Amino acid sequence: MENITELKKVRQDIIKDYSAKDILDTHIDKEVSKMNDLQYVIVKDIIKETDDTKSFILEPDVSKGTRELAPFKAGQYISLKLFIDDAYVTRAYSLSSSPSEALKNFYRITIKKVPNGLVSNIMFKDIKVGDGLTISKPMGEFGYNKIRDEENVIAIAGGSGITPFMSLAKAIKDKDEECSLTVIYSVKKEKDIIFKDEINELNKNKNINFVITLTEEEKDNYLNGYINEEMIEPYLKEFNTVLMCGPKGLYQTMNEILLKFNIPKKNVHYENFNVMYEPSEKNTYSLKVIMKDEVKTIKCKSDESLLISMEKAGIKAPSSCRVGICGFCRSILIQGKVKTIGATQVKALSENDYIHPCVTYPESDVVLKLDI
Amino acid sequence: MIYDYIIIGSGLGGLSAGLNLTLNSKKVLILEKNSLPGGATTTFKKGRFEFDTALYDLYNYGNSEHIGELQNIFNEYDLSIDGEVVPFNALINALDLKKPYEIKGNIEDFFIYLEHLKPGSITNLKKFLKVIKEIHDSILEIEKGVKVKNEYFLKYLDTNAYDALIDIGISKEIIPYLSFLWIQLGSPLNKLSFIDYAEFMYKIIFKKRVVLNIKNMELIFNMVNKYRDKHGKIIFNAEVVNINKNKDYVLVETKDQKEYKCKHLICDLMPRYVYKDLLKATPEINKLENARTIGANSLVVYLGLNKDCKTLGLKHYKYYNFNNLNSIINIKSMNSFYHSTFEAIVPNVVNEDVSPKNTTIMVLKTDYYGDAWAKVNKSNYHKLKEDLANNLIEQFERYFNIELKAYIEEIEIVTPFAFEKLTNNINGSMYGYMRKGYDNSINRLVSYEDEKDPNISFVGGSSLFGNGADNAIKSGYFITNKLLNKDDF
Repeated sequence: MENITELKKVRQDIIKDYSAKDILDTHIDKEVSKMNDLQYVIVKDIIKETDDTKSFILEPDVSKGTRELAPFKAGQYISLKLFIDDAYVTRAYSLSSSPSEALKNFYRITIKKVPNGLVSNIMFKDIKVGDGLTISKPMGEFGYNKIRDEENVIAIAGGSGITPFMSLAKAIKDKDEECSLTVIYSVKKEKDIIFKDEINELNKNKNINFVITLTEEEKDNYLNGYINEEMIEPYLKEFNTVLMCGPKGLYQTMNEILLKFNIPKKNVHYENFNVMYEPSEKNTYSLKVIMKDEVKTIKCKSDESLLISMEKAGIKAPSSCRVGICGFCRSILIQGKVKTIGATQVKALSENDYIHPCVTYPESDVVLKLDI
Repeated sequence: MIYDYIIIGSGLGGLSAGLNLTLNSKKVLILEKNSLPGGATTTFKKGRFEFDTALYDLYNYGNSEHIGELQNIFNEYDLSIDGEVVPFNALINALDLKKPYEIKGNIEDFFIYLEHLKPGSITNLKKFLKVIKEIHDSILEIEKGVKVKNEYFLKYLDTNAYDALIDIGISKEIIPYLSFLWIQLGSPLNKLSFIDYAEFMYKIIFKKRVVLNIKNMELIFNMVNKYRDKHGKIIFNAEVVNINKNKDYVLVETKDQKEYKCKHLICDLMPRYVYKDLLKATPEINKLENARTIGANSLVVYLGLNKDCKTLGLKHYKYYNFNNLNSIINIKSMNSFYHSTFEAIVPNVVNEDVSPKNTTIMVLKTDYYGDAWAKVNKSNYHKLKEDLANNLIEQFERYFNIELKAYIEEIEIVTPFAFEKLTNNINGSMYGYMRKGYDNSINRLVSYEDEKDPNISFVGGSSLFGNGADNAIKSGYFITNKLLNKDDF
């Protein structure tokens, strides 16, 4: 077997002459090692936008190891992670600053105060300039995609649903995105308009056009009433892409309108921040949660997602997007009957009893395996 | 408690190793850093499409006539695979060709085409078939540790694929046409050992390829569930950050500061990552690692199209495009971003159930060598990623004269950065180490006993047999068999 021995020797001889120094990182290795799922930030500034809306300017918290903020694409969100009453609670917020501002190391998120809203009330009352926060890396797919989408983009925004489109408009101004954007923005009254001055400034750009409609008052310079066909028609071209962000009711109305304009489904995209579910009857069940180190049995309600029940009971359940997409909260249903709302997951996962507790509601007593 | 084996990573290699070990009643723990098993082999959902990431057709599974090794391995694991043999069905274009050429049907049909291109070729093409058959049998002997006497095997053991093909008598004009599949191996013919090439061609020609009727994630879960049935343990969200070799055991530490002990550690990871980031390497290991070349990394674009493939004009299962049909010339262009070498898979052509009715999935992939990505940083990442994907789609449209853009309903772009984040593969490589001269698979195989680490073994696409789902599965089986014969605990 001379040849084989020879073959081994050639290999040994070549290897022998190489450096014995430690193996070096490649450029990609170095960049990947900087990518973290969590980012630590400091609130640099808080800006009152309207009576019930505030913007928070976030900068990296170097003392906690976040040297620079991750880049993002206009339309993406971060998930804010708060530690409240001994449990982690998350909320997803679209970034309302521009992608180029992230490279200058700041993000802006804009939060509307929700009556009885756990997180928004804490952000309004308790969070001060200088406080530290934990956020996720930028996530989500919503926004303009130059490969998939038409260049004429109609954005439909309801209330605080304006935030991703602020980012997109700024990205267009910065030439980070190339499309023509019309934002049809619906608010109750003039005083509810978020980013009013910025909108006026952005409107000077020929590819950006914000059109505001007031639903609860009539005023000069604004359209009046809920978004309807006549408001959209002037901005449509032969091929259009429609992006929507706002309350669910807006989507339903819009779908009917878009049908009349023959806009194909593939050209319509939604940001989905609120999953709503009203069970036919309200019940309370028991929820047994099996974790790596402990087992807890708590109460859960048929009109509350399993994730919310766990958070209320102080269980540190992982989560991020809260609409069934990101997979952070993925758990295994050991026992029980449940109802899933919103995005569906890969078939092989459902078949292996995986569920997303953020969009899953109990219909019987449930046993769940967390930390899988 | 000390496990017999801990396996880091639940890719195809790790799961295959786990199955073989638990089948032999070993106490095994798999640690997986992600929340799902599978590693690079997974399925993701976007809109109404479920995209498979790694495995479209399985090599080395075989058919009733030529039983592939994987068929035997799966039988041992008691896993049944539902799939169908797919004939050749590819359209190949190169910028130096007047028009694309097509391969359809069996190898005989392809050889008739080559004979038509260069009359008189058929005799030596038949000789080529005989040679690769004999080389395949010789490799089986090597793997069993039997002494090989075959004339061709010994003759070509130290010969590159190009020189060997010339020696067999295949004409220079025909070689590029015959060997376009070099791109699957990631090495041009002059760097590729003829033994590696012959084995690969043997798999393609005789064992053929099998298209699975299940999604990647289903295969992975079938393996996981079988492994668990045999009392194998798997922990998710358990990223290993440190490995310590002690006198009596190997200690493995995870990010959440838990410790696990085993007698022998198996890594379904690229060795370079393990020795660079998890364990202090010896000078010998550093020499070996510094000598090896990391294989190409890739940009992969997954498209969900809103028409069926017939309407779109997509008739072929696979499409290949090259700057130059000659691999030795072609590879030089692949150090830069804007080259024309890419491939496309349209799984609907062979299995219409892979996406909803009246839709089509297309996966486009292009490879880069060297440090093509060195200028990519956080400020240009998103824009460049879109530009590259856009360029890839437009090239496909131009060279194959098929419109795609108007039909794109969903798109996902995967860069080497994302791939490294998922798998920890160095430089985001999809090919592991490049098969190159002394570092072809055959060289790794003959040097295996001399080079192996007594406490740590490697499986997966960066190990002995090189890239590819079949090689990953086989490595898990092969390495654990070696360990089982040796272990006396």
